[in-house]
Amino acid sequence: MAATEPFHSPNRPLALYALGFTLFLYAPILFIPLFSFNSGLYARFPLQDFTLAWYAELWTRGPVFAALQNSLQVGLTVAVISTVLAVPAAKALARYRIPGKGPILGFMLLPLVVPGLIFGVALLVLVSRLGIPLSLWTVGLGHIIICLPFAISILLPRFEGANRSLEEASADLGENAWWTFWRVTFPTILPGVMASLLLTFTVSFDEFIIAFFLSGTDPTLPMYIWNQLRFPQSFPSLLALSTLILVVSFGLVLASLRLARLNRDLPGRKTS
Amino acid sequence: MDVIDQLHAVRSGKLSRRAFNRSLMALGIGLTAVPLGARRALAAPEDHPTFFTWGGFDIPELFVEYQAKHGEMPNFSTFGGSEEALVKLRSGFVADVSHPCLSGVPRWVETGLFQPIDTSRLSNWPNVMPELYNADFNQTEGKFWLVPFDWGQTSITYRTDLFDLQGEESWAMLSDQRHAGRLGMLSSGGDAWWCGAIMAGVPLSEIATEDAFTRISDFMRAQRPLIRIYTDDTTSLEQALASGELVAAMTWNSSAVTLRAQDVPVAFAQPKEGALTWVCGVMLHKDAPHLDRAYDVIDSLISVPSGIFNIGTYGYGHSNMKAFDNFDEATLRGLGLSKNPIEILQAGHFMTPQSADWEARMNSTWEKIKAGF
Amino acid sequence: MTPFDSDLRPAPAGRPSLAVGLRNRVHRSEALRGYLLLSPALAVLGVAIIAPLILLIVMSTWSMSGFDMLMTPGLGNYAIIASDPIYAALLGRSLKIAAIATAATVLLSYPVAYFVAFHVHRHKMLWLILLTLPFWTSYLMRIFAWRVVLGYEGVINSALMSLGLIEAPMQVFLYSQTAVTIALAHAWAAFAILPIYVSLEKIDKSYLEAAADLGDNAARRFWRITLPLSLPGVVAAFFLMFIPTVGDYVTAAMLGGPDGMMVGNLIQAQFGPINDWPMGAALALVMTLAVAVAGLAFLLLTRMIRR
Repeated sequence: MAATEPFHSPNRPLALYALGFTLFLYAPILFIPLFSFNSGLYARFPLQDFTLAWYAELWTRGPVFAALQNSLQVGLTVAVISTVLAVPAAKALARYRIPGKGPILGFMLLPLVVPGLIFGVALLVLVSRLGIPLSLWTVGLGHIIICLPFAISILLPRFEGANRSLEEASADLGENAWWTFWRVTFPTILPGVMASLLLTFTVSFDEFIIAFFLSGTDPTLPMYIWNQLRFPQSFPSLLALSTLILVVSFGLVLASLRLARLNRDLPGRKTS
Repeated sequence: MDVIDQLHAVRSGKLSRRAFNRSLMALGIGLTAVPLGARRALAAPEDHPTFFTWGGFDIPELFVEYQAKHGEMPNFSTFGGSEEALVKLRSGFVADVSHPCLSGVPRWVETGLFQPIDTSRLSNWPNVMPELYNADFNQTEGKFWLVPFDWGQTSITYRTDLFDLQGEESWAMLSDQRHAGRLGMLSSGGDAWWCGAIMAGVPLSEIATEDAFTRISDFMRAQRPLIRIYTDDTTSLEQALASGELVAAMTWNSSAVTLRAQDVPVAFAQPKEGALTWVCGVMLHKDAPHLDRAYDVIDSLISVPSGIFNIGTYGYGHSNMKAFDNFDEATLRGLGLSKNPIEILQAGHFMTPQSADWEARMNSTWEKIKAGF
Repeated sequence: MTPFDSDLRPAPAGRPSLAVGLRNRVHRSEALRGYLLLSPALAVLGVAIIAPLILLIVMSTWSMSGFDMLMTPGLGNYAIIASDPIYAALLGRSLKIAAIATAATVLLSYPVAYFVAFHVHRHKMLWLILLTLPFWTSYLMRIFAWRVVLGYEGVINSALMSLGLIEAPMQVFLYSQTAVTIALAHAWAAFAILPIYVSLEKIDKSYLEAAADLGDNAARRFWRITLPLSLPGVVAAFFLMFIPTVGDYVTAAMLGGPDGMMVGNLIQAQFGPINDWPMGAALALVMTLAVAVAGLAFLLLTRMIRR
């Protein structure tokens, strides 16, 4: 049916190119799981025997899990804080006539156009001058800077698109501001909030450049991996860990996709 | 600001809210549940001291004695370089026991963050080789600042099948034109510059002179075109040696051991000019919150079981003389060690403490040389 | 206090008049309420961006003596940066690598974004997810994976050798600027695809239909309508990728080899082994300035093209 519209006609070469591009994206990453099952210490060809030993070894390595937990903690905290900060800010920017809105928005999105290294270095200078010890909190602060613009840019269109008349109706019915927010505004921006939480978590979880300067003695996972590069013996189990993280995140995304489809396909139910 | 909807479009726009809720819940539960289970079994509780050390020493094998006595492992915090560690300690981090190297002792002591160690409280002290701790700067009133734990050599690991060795093993192997582009170097000035001094024929006692600076710089600049990588991550160096990408590289003892365990034909050279000998050990924080157990951590590190692991598995020397009795001479020779380690120590070139200005100048010169300037 | 103030709070009755007056004023002035809602985020960003940046600028005028910083202001660090060729060379190299990687990524991603926007009908979401999934793996591990692909006994060399095209493994792939460029292009592909896709998706299809009705062929439609309308997405993709990559140092450290070192590595070294923070601060500021200039130049260029 698409063939009736000339610019929607199927385009074989383009499809092939897109497929090839996707393969290019995946090809190198697949070596991580591959070598996590290889008995050799070094990732090189030819492959040696199949083994699960690295996964077993992973289980005995407390510091790895401590680092993973640090990253999860920082990621979740950063996701929540930057989203909570971004919701009112996005609302103000989308809804109110404020003098200087342009510059304010520009300032808030500034971290998107400044190399992360700069924030890492600048914050390091500040906290060390103030005598604040480096910790997961300083890493979190650095991450909030780079996550806040993402959160705001996700939430802004949500507020712009949301239907104000509902809120007005709620107010007319005598609901107070909080109640209106929770009952009317929040549900309409919820997908945006979720997206913001997820994205900011992802950004923080894998961030290395800022964490390198700001982490104290508790390493985040990327920092731990970096420090372990000096010890080849521990490397294969890091491959195993990465494979597990890979599987979990792939599984989650695919599952949510599945759920979305199920929702859509159920008769008599409409997706939001 | 179009930046913007992009992520929104992908991550939320087309996924239903319900799906997002679920995936997020699953994310939260799934990811936090895993580490919790594992951690409960392994984490040391509050009443154990913290050992602030290089990545790789945070393992049970080195704390056999400690675990026998206290049932659990101490806490760990790891660093990637001793400079970085000192910065963190100076900014207020209190670790009961830290792991610097001997040549850094004066600068570490200068910070006023450490207390001398009462060696009479260490049961394994009598077996510790005096050559490793007898330096003027390391003692005060009969006590020592640093208790040596690991030592070793920085030398050349080379592929016996690929490197065409003519004559004796020597540092000239790393400037061999025939293997240009297949030689590797450690990246930190702490190793590379000192080895550079040996290669350039500068006596280590004169390393702080202006002349030494010029000669070492000239040598390293001339060597650079031959070098494929400068790196401190031993995983890269070993990987490259294993694949044959490199035929010789400046490494620590451990690389040769690890490579041989993977059946890669390598040797750890005994260069005729002498290898660079380094000694590292542990220092005690002046405000160590778990002082008694901190002594147990130190005692466990210098015990024979730790030594056997350190020598046998990591290929590093150990400070406990008795640990060497468990290995035959041939094995030890292959590691650049010996049944009579003192002989090696006496023949080796030692790093000596230098001023902060020297360190800064050396590091900045070295970074420039590596970058090709 | 309530950050989620809405416009419709009924005036509370029977309260002391001062409080009511204040509240009403806040309530009535839209701008004031707006600022109130913005204030938490602005406060955090103010503390976390402006304060450190000011200190960074101040510190860049200091100098080192041993372990101690001399706080006498001076432009010595900048003079060194201007006179010693290493700084300009590394900065230039960083800009070059980032520009090439970004240009390559944007060019290569555009057709994919175009494909998903215009030729995929039923499984758009699946495609988008498929294209972004690889970026959920650890960045360090992805760099490592590139080492496996490009390495001496790596995938490319093994393949070339088994095809009989080369006899001995080639060394050109790994530890070079090319390796850094490839890895960066790969790592940031999602940041290029998504904005381009969004801007393409937004294009009103009726323009294209109208152009088709007027007899424009596919190529003409693309040049005259699709490409200009998707340019904002291309610009966004460029900035999102170019700027962070200029300051990257991990990729260069792991894949670059001696000739692939970037300015980020030097800045990191100043704060690490060299322990000359003032110099590091000055270098970081110079880098930011260079990035800003490069970004503005690019923006002007696209403006000119659009005219």
